[in-house]
Amino acid sequence: MTAVLRLLCSALMGLLLFVSLSVQAQDKVITGKVIDSKDGSPIVGASVVPKGSTKGASTGADGSFRLNVPATVSALVITSVGFDRQEVAITGATVDVSLVQANASLNEVIVVGYGTSRKKDLTGAVASVKAKDFNSGGAITGPDMLLQNKVPGLEITNTSGQPGVATTVQIRGTSSIRSNNSPLYVVDGVPLDGSTARPNLGIGFGGSTPNSNPLLYIDPNSIASVDVLKDASSAAIYGARGANGVIVITTKKGQAGPMRVDVGAGWGVNTGYMKRFEVLDAGQYRDALKKYKQPATLDGGQDEDALEALTQTGLSQNYSVAFSGGNEQGKFRAGFLMAKTDGFLKKTALDRYLATINGQYKFLDNRLTLDFNIVGGTYGEQLTSVSNNAGSAGNIISSAVSWNPTIALQKADGTYNFPSNGSGNPLAFNEAYNDRSSVTTLLANGSLSYQLTKGLTYKFLYGVNHGVGTRKASIDGWLEGQSGISGVGVAGLADAKLFSQTITNTLNYRTQLSEKLSLDAVIGYEYFKRDYSGGGTFGSGFNTNLSQSARTEILYTAMMQNALTHTVFTYINPTSEIQSYFGRAILNWNDKFALNASLRADGSSKFGSNNRYGYFPAVGARWTISNEDFMKDSKTFNNLALRASWGITGNQEFPPGSSQEQFAFTSFNQAQQVVNGNPDLKWESAQQINFGIDFGLFGGRVFGSLDYYNKNTTDILFQTNAIQPAPSSLSFVNLADAHLINSGFELGVGAVIVQNKDVTWEVTLNGAYNKNNVTDLLDPNTGLPLLIKTGEISGQGVSGTLGQAITNDQPVNIFNLKEFKGFDKTTGNQIIGADPVIGGDPNPSWITGFSTTLRLKKFSFTLNAGGAYGFLIYNNTATSVTNIAGIAQGRNIDVAAYESEEGVGSGVAASQRFLEKGNYMKLRNFTVSYNVGSMGKFVKNFTAYVTGSNLFVLTNFTGFDPEVNIDKSNNSYPSRSIEYVPYPTPRVVTFGLNFSL
Amino acid sequence: MLAYKKILLFTAPALMLTLSCTKLEEDLGSTLTAAETTAALGSNGTGLLLNAAYSDLAGPFTSQDLVFSLQENSTDESLVPTRGGDWDDNGVWRVVHNHTWNADHGQVLNVFNGLNKINFDATNVMNFKPSKAQEAEARFLRALSLYTLLDLYGQYPFRNPGDNLLNAPVVRSGAEGVNFIISELNAILPDIPAGNANTRANADAVRTLLMKCYLNIGAFINRAAPTFDAADMAQVVTLGNAIINSAKYSYTPNYFDNFAPNNGTASKEGIFVYPNTAGVSANHAGVEARWNMTLHYNSYTPANPNAGWNGFSTIADFYSSFGAGVAPLTFTPDDTLVDKRLGGRVYPGATDKSGIKPGLLVGQQYNEAGVALKDRKGNPLAYDKTIASNMIEQGANLEVTGIRVVKYVPDYSDNGKYYGGPAGNWLMIFRYPDVVLMVAEAKIRSGSDVPGGIALVNGLRAARGAAPMATIPLVNPNNVDDPNTFLAERGRELYWEGVRRTDLIRFGVFLKPWGLKPTDDPKNLLFPIPNQALAANPNLKQNPGY
Repeated sequence: MTAVLRLLCSALMGLLLFVSLSVQAQDKVITGKVIDSKDGSPIVGASVVPKGSTKGASTGADGSFRLNVPATVSALVITSVGFDRQEVAITGATVDVSLVQANASLNEVIVVGYGTSRKKDLTGAVASVKAKDFNSGGAITGPDMLLQNKVPGLEITNTSGQPGVATTVQIRGTSSIRSNNSPLYVVDGVPLDGSTARPNLGIGFGGSTPNSNPLLYIDPNSIASVDVLKDASSAAIYGARGANGVIVITTKKGQAGPMRVDVGAGWGVNTGYMKRFEVLDAGQYRDALKKYKQPATLDGGQDEDALEALTQTGLSQNYSVAFSGGNEQGKFRAGFLMAKTDGFLKKTALDRYLATINGQYKFLDNRLTLDFNIVGGTYGEQLTSVSNNAGSAGNIISSAVSWNPTIALQKADGTYNFPSNGSGNPLAFNEAYNDRSSVTTLLANGSLSYQLTKGLTYKFLYGVNHGVGTRKASIDGWLEGQSGISGVGVAGLADAKLFSQTITNTLNYRTQLSEKLSLDAVIGYEYFKRDYSGGGTFGSGFNTNLSQSARTEILYTAMMQNALTHTVFTYINPTSEIQSYFGRAILNWNDKFALNASLRADGSSKFGSNNRYGYFPAVGARWTISNEDFMKDSKTFNNLALRASWGITGNQEFPPGSSQEQFAFTSFNQAQQVVNGNPDLKWESAQQINFGIDFGLFGGRVFGSLDYYNKNTTDILFQTNAIQPAPSSLSFVNLADAHLINSGFELGVGAVIVQNKDVTWEVTLNGAYNKNNVTDLLDPNTGLPLLIKTGEISGQGVSGTLGQAITNDQPVNIFNLKEFKGFDKTTGNQIIGADPVIGGDPNPSWITGFSTTLRLKKFSFTLNAGGAYGFLIYNNTATSVTNIAGIAQGRNIDVAAYESEEGVGSGVAASQRFLEKGNYMKLRNFTVSYNVGSMGKFVKNFTAYVTGSNLFVLTNFTGFDPEVNIDKSNNSYPSRSIEYVPYPTPRVVTFGLNFSL
Repeated sequence: MLAYKKILLFTAPALMLTLSCTKLEEDLGSTLTAAETTAALGSNGTGLLLNAAYSDLAGPFTSQDLVFSLQENSTDESLVPTRGGDWDDNGVWRVVHNHTWNADHGQVLNVFNGLNKINFDATNVMNFKPSKAQEAEARFLRALSLYTLLDLYGQYPFRNPGDNLLNAPVVRSGAEGVNFIISELNAILPDIPAGNANTRANADAVRTLLMKCYLNIGAFINRAAPTFDAADMAQVVTLGNAIINSAKYSYTPNYFDNFAPNNGTASKEGIFVYPNTAGVSANHAGVEARWNMTLHYNSYTPANPNAGWNGFSTIADFYSSFGAGVAPLTFTPDDTLVDKRLGGRVYPGATDKSGIKPGLLVGQQYNEAGVALKDRKGNPLAYDKTIASNMIEQGANLEVTGIRVVKYVPDYSDNGKYYGGPAGNWLMIFRYPDVVLMVAEAKIRSGSDVPGGIALVNGLRAARGAAPMATIPLVNPNNVDDPNTFLAERGRELYWEGVRRTDLIRFGVFLKPWGLKPTDDPKNLLFPIPNQALAANPNLKQNPGY
């Protein structure tokens, strides 16, 4: 039967060929240009083929083509990767075509786990963002920031304004009650473990600095697309690592065609605070001294703005170049980025030297394909003293906001003023604090795939992720007013090494089972191994750099032998291994019904010996109603599909070794048990259902999706108080009965409002609502709700205070603070309730995103904005740094305290008084670009642009930035929405240009 | 061609299978499994485990917010008032002093966990084939942990060596709890190495802990109405006499030498101590907290204004138990009228460095040059006896209220150690005068030898420059700080050494009102079992009233 069909097919082809040959004598010449409907830019390398023919032409660098077509041909077929296929009637000698991006297209291919899927086969909630829709601008350093507010249900929170700092990334809410809620990242087919080789090094002020973004080594310019797998049927193929969702990053690849060079350059400056936390200026401060009857001696007579003094304009630069080219047998692309990003605070910067190199080569009649992807480079951070949990000694920001504005920071001779009021001198902090880290990361994979028979392909992939990092930090001893530092100096060195390997074997089978039924199946085996180690040394008691007048340039870290005392630490983490078997089948019947089923078995060395393997099944179905006969003629709907899915995913993010009894050498001549093994320890399990509607209206002018989900996390991995007597106070267990439920809905809508030759205007909007609730978190003995305190409130006077709780029938991290009952009428003292009460949700119920692009001929205007609503932020800065008590010590206070009825004797206390509405809407970036087009003989597609990032934020929150999630976790229980003396967010303006050769 | 395809078709999955089937292994890197520990360390390893149990003492017994806080801040000897923008800490300090704590209190949990860490590590030594001597030392450390748990919480969890750590251990309380500790101490006494210094478990330390058990057993069984069995008192006397008669200990002529940076050699009173070595951070307990926690910011050099934490104070009631204010205080070195333990005298190595005169600090403070110090607002740095009744200082004098207590003399031996450490002062856990006073108390309580008891007390008083007392009533129920009582003598000698709460309960006055604690509830004779511990071990029972 098939043989007959094949014969028939080739016969037909031959006939067509004959026909086309026979009419070649009567050719006509058609010229024209192919442009992108979105911005009018020329599309290079688009294929233009006369309808019914196989031979055609490709567009050149300016999008133009010239083609001989037989006179009988009445239409051209234009195709290009990433755009919808278009058929155009030949009406004259010139045919101009504007292609629509394949965004709304159902034939679009989406990278899902271990393969690709056509959008029309998708049964789950998957969002795909292509390079041209990414956020842009000078504030972007990590790939995750490209996606901010682009995907409904994906919440990416900047935790700090420091360049390169880690963001908090959550898909569909908080689904763990441990610190790690990050999704799994998969880069070019290799799952990452989310860690970086940047060592942590706590010196001096007792606070830990924020982590750096683990994806910093990935050049954002070299990313082609990011796919976000949100629901269980999409993520379950990643089994025990899929519970927090999966983010699949695909780098740009070479295209068959002429050699191409893309060049980009940009220059950016910090133009000021996006928003300031308002403290008193010198004039207000003098008024305050009078109002609070403080001695006039506290007025230093000057006018100083410490927050301003700390910042720099800087000049950030980035230069990128990418070479690509090849043919059908071999393609390559090599992209390079050199970037220096100056931080907003002095002595902070991020330098990146990154490369993204890949190639694809085909052998043996195209049956054997060799692929390689190398993503890597080195990045260096220069950090200042901004710590998450600084205590009474403070950090650079606490010092700045509490600085008496009537005293100059520096004397005329360049030395610093050190008042004895406890504020410290922020500029001196900044100068005396030296902290540099450098991380080199290489993520490389190579794969071989062989087409065994038609539709059946075997693939072998080997990937490594190797990172090494060093960090050197010191605080000069001339800095006054810091216990343990002043007069002695401290320094520390640390290094860390991360090495992980992935081996994947897959068999893919794609076939047409019958005329209408197709099958796309994959089975595979994967092995993952991870090692992490590091160490470091601390020294203190230096005999140089101890007085302001005798400062040297030499850092303590360059002469550690000069220290009086040294301490050393080294560690090698337990090796962790994961071994997995998985399979997935997608059945499609006539493009009307699709069924997706997958199963993964994950064995992890982290799990206890009684629970080595977990099984993660998922199923999903899709009904594409618009392909039914009764909808075929609909003028309104060009696409309408219903989706439903169910699945179970896992989470195994707990420290390796938690299931084993471990003994450690804790210091000289000492050994002790440090972990009590739990052989029953296993993965956390999340069961999720998802219902979705995809729609396209008015010929694709309006498109979008609506999803409802309910995610139920059980066997919650949890650090509990160990059963004493025990080797450690906490130990990991699975909470058998408790549930953590996230449910909500997500809407994403896009519309092409205007689309013609000169003007296009597109708008996309998304919104997600999530509700988070912990249930059955009960004491097994008494049946009473458990209350786990977290959310560390920091600073002088509030040590050890925990402001959040995880407890039964409440959202994770609900605030747990004492009630604030106003001020005493006579004394002005705060009246604070006796015991903390539960109340106040720090988790946003709504997150929204908005973006729009308007193209007017050669100008384009793009705007991206986003916001979060329905949550509270705790202003820890106001509690303990700029409280009213400061004025009596000669420190500065915040405007809110000044304007309140609070008396100067009122003490410090953490309470609900400092809970503020967090609702905000932030303009992330606004770009104006001008497409010059070709310049001279070689320069093509020259575009110049100006981007403003973080231009403004609409909020009633009084702190620096309502987009806040400083790590205030306690015993690795997470925290949420607590602001504390953060690295402020700058406005950044970037000017840049791009062109191709 | 077809055959070739088939080969590939079948070899590919086979290849996949051969590459699979890894035996999942978690290789430990810096740590060892229990089996490896035995093999790798041999008999020497047991010693390393024992050392770890010793160093576990550092945290709970040194930190200002652990055992010290529960045993001292809950009494008339110590409290931490909130001072404007400082020391609120969600009220944790105030509730300890005014007895309104609950089962979620962080210090109550951390002390429970910290003491049980000693309990665990000491027990674990016995899993690793210890020598007789090592086992005896480990059992002493465990007994000290259990005694302290019993004292604070009225019960303690107990595991035998080798017990499955995932199972809830048994819990002992009351008479059973004390008697087990007594039987342990009696059992190990012959095996304790005779040559052990006072930094290790030694026979006199075992005897001292036994004395504490016998003296307090009646209180541990019934804290509301302690009884004192004559046989128990006789045991206290016998054990104490063994220590006194050994002549290994004597009163150090300068009381504050017992707490000085060189007290490891200068003091002859240490029976069981935690050694710290100046300048070495390994195994260092952070003893500098003992003066940082109480001294004002400006007690130090201007370069280090935040070195003092300006927190812990004592109250006027306790100060009055010295009888201070009655006799004219001249504080000359030869002054024999005033109890030297009150302090206020020049101490070489401290006063010449900072102006600090160890002891109870009242009134104007001076620097090393004799210049009167000021607080950060420019007011005279003159410590004021009066503390706000709600322990929340909001007035202009908020930095100077409260009498400060410098018992451990700051280590000025090089720049920085006095505030940042590591300082050289050894932490006194058991001190000789406690033994003498326990013998005296037992003699007086049992009536077996009241004059002998009084003579012992007067012997101590003479060494401290205080006049002898003719009669010494045990306690004045109407005035906890009556200077003429035996309880007051214990306070004067042992203030801020972690015994006050136990003493007040044994003397039956813990629930009496004193400064800043007007009322009380009988439930407070015990701390609650922390809720988190209760959830982990159903064998623990919450103490009545919580």
